[in-house]
Amino acid sequence: MDAMNGILGGFAALANPETLLYMIAGFLIGMLFGAVPGLTSVLAIALLLPLTYSLDVSTALVACASIFMAGMCSGSITATTINIPGAPSSMMTAIEGYPMQQRGEGAKALGHAALGSMIGGTIGALLLMVVSPLAADVALLIRTPGKFSLIAFALIVIIISQRGSITKGMIATLLGVMIASVGIDVVQPIARFTFGTSALVQGIEMMPLIIGTFAISELLVQADSRSLLTVDPGKIKSTLIRRRDFIPPWSEVREIGLLRYLKSAIIGYAVGILPGAGGSMAAFVSYAESMRSSKHPERYGKGSPEGIAAAECANNSMCGGAFVPMLTFGIPGDPTTAIVLGVLVINGLQPGPQFMSQQLDLVAPMFASLFVSALVLVPLSIYLLGPYFLKLVSIRRDVLYSSIAVVALVGSYVATYSTFQMALALVFGVLAYYLRKQQYPTVCMLLGFVLGPSLEEYCRRSLSISDGNPMVFFTSPDSVFFVVLTAIFFYFMVMRKPKERSLNQS
Amino acid sequence: MGVDMSSQRITLGGGFYVPAVLAVITVIYLISALQLGPPMKGGNMTAAFFPIMTSIMMLIALACAMGQAVKQAQQQRAAASLETDRSAPDCSATKRLGGDDKRPSYLGISLGALGVVVLTAGYLIAFDRLGYLVATLGYVLLLIVLFSGGIKHNLVMKLVATVVITGAGYLLFEIVFQVRLPTLWSL
Repeated sequence: MDAMNGILGGFAALANPETLLYMIAGFLIGMLFGAVPGLTSVLAIALLLPLTYSLDVSTALVACASIFMAGMCSGSITATTINIPGAPSSMMTAIEGYPMQQRGEGAKALGHAALGSMIGGTIGALLLMVVSPLAADVALLIRTPGKFSLIAFALIVIIISQRGSITKGMIATLLGVMIASVGIDVVQPIARFTFGTSALVQGIEMMPLIIGTFAISELLVQADSRSLLTVDPGKIKSTLIRRRDFIPPWSEVREIGLLRYLKSAIIGYAVGILPGAGGSMAAFVSYAESMRSSKHPERYGKGSPEGIAAAECANNSMCGGAFVPMLTFGIPGDPTTAIVLGVLVINGLQPGPQFMSQQLDLVAPMFASLFVSALVLVPLSIYLLGPYFLKLVSIRRDVLYSSIAVVALVGSYVATYSTFQMALALVFGVLAYYLRKQQYPTVCMLLGFVLGPSLEEYCRRSLSISDGNPMVFFTSPDSVFFVVLTAIFFYFMVMRKPKERSLNQS
Repeated sequence: MGVDMSSQRITLGGGFYVPAVLAVITVIYLISALQLGPPMKGGNMTAAFFPIMTSIMMLIALACAMGQAVKQAQQQRAAASLETDRSAPDCSATKRLGGDDKRPSYLGISLGALGVVVLTAGYLIAFDRLGYLVATLGYVLLLIVLFSGGIKHNLVMKLVATVVITGAGYLLFEIVFQVRLPTLWSL
């Protein structure tokens, strides 16, 4: 009952004009960043991170949630109309939406994408409100060895979910763990890897790493391109979107069916809870399941509204799921929730099992923001701004990236009022640039950085309790649960998958 | 840059050199970790244990990545030789071996990206010495020139954009978020 009151209080907090303004502003920024090819909602939240020093934590979380939701749905417009997914999560939408656009049914595709996003996002937010207090109760049962095994499970799943580049995923994750180990040791008061630099004794903060990895490296990657605009104006001229296009025909909505929407939302939510999966994985799994269970699988790949609805419903529902492990276990599974964790840490808050009961008043407005963004802002903004979207996403690259550079670098300065943080952001930006050029998943580096210190702390504490006996990880029931879970995931994602692929090929 | 292998010269790209540089960094990290003391003391893990384990796992993964890069380069070399045997000799196969990026680059970083790195490093120095306004005006103008490929075309628009971006940044940080930015007169 207390949890319910707290969540209702979150909705009431949105009535505060300042909070409401940040939610709407965050949503519009998220839409723009999600739609412009080359920009992502992760970058938008990364740029917001330094500003949270001057913002109330609850307001910052509200803005982050609305950016997250907006970024997931806005990529579908460019994916459908000009076959350029604004975000990776809109890849499946492009597969179905663009063929529909080519045969003159782009309007329907956009309508289905908007409706799917709205339904998925709303269900995901509702599930988050219901499940996270229960998950927090379960999290209380996990003791120190179990916490180590849980974090190890998260890191291993993040690595093995890098399909085709597990080695690179492992290298990036370990690099993140190594960077996080700079500074005072997590258990003893010993400075490590400072190389005589006093500025490193306090360790490396999350902000320069995030700004460097997501903003500076993007500037360097974009400096390679020669085009003046983010989207080719020739493609835009030939595409006309009208407001009424965004309302999908009722007959097709009925054909897709309530069950498919529900199933896609649940799949998206479940994928969101898994570490390292993200919106593109949610969209892919839901799309594949929708095709498997469809009465007309032959229509998939040629412009199927079912496929669009399944993909968009799942990637928006994923937003709600992604917050569960971060809030209840302190384990972010994707870059967005890792940055939201950064917002909490900057404000001296540490998510964990007790967090939901003790700080519900702080996070409840974020839940409400996710819900309102999906139910109201997604349809409203797409209906109002949709016709102008293609013009909005065609921005002069020189102006866009210069603005991003200023916000990113001056934002890094805000943390400590020293140019050292700015220099660190540049160093991490160059490092991330080289990693990205060789297809190393930089997200793994960030998650390794975030989870590394807890992994080390729980490992050392567990061994200290058991007098150095590593069997503690195999005798403690909660730890055994996660060890078995890791083995199951490893079997299905690494060992069984290649076999299935070779069978399919033969 | 390349290594001699069975009388054939294999060109290795970033796929090899990025893990190689990371391996050097990891070895320095490992040495530093070993200098912290023994990994175990009285049955307990010390501050050195976890970094030592991490760096050993990292070195194994990096060795795998380097091995994969060498194998890939050998396969590309073999495929290129086959192609040159089949068709009339031209320089296309040799071009393909040169690496994945054909744009002018230095140490694996394209000239455009290198320009951004140099400008940003200069901006950090200028930010400290000249303050936000002067440093940002110069930095933004030079970035706009770099991203648009020259200064001559649409110069007025570029100058206006520079002033607007610098002013908007000042408004956002100094006025809206009340962050004290360094100024020329406060230094």
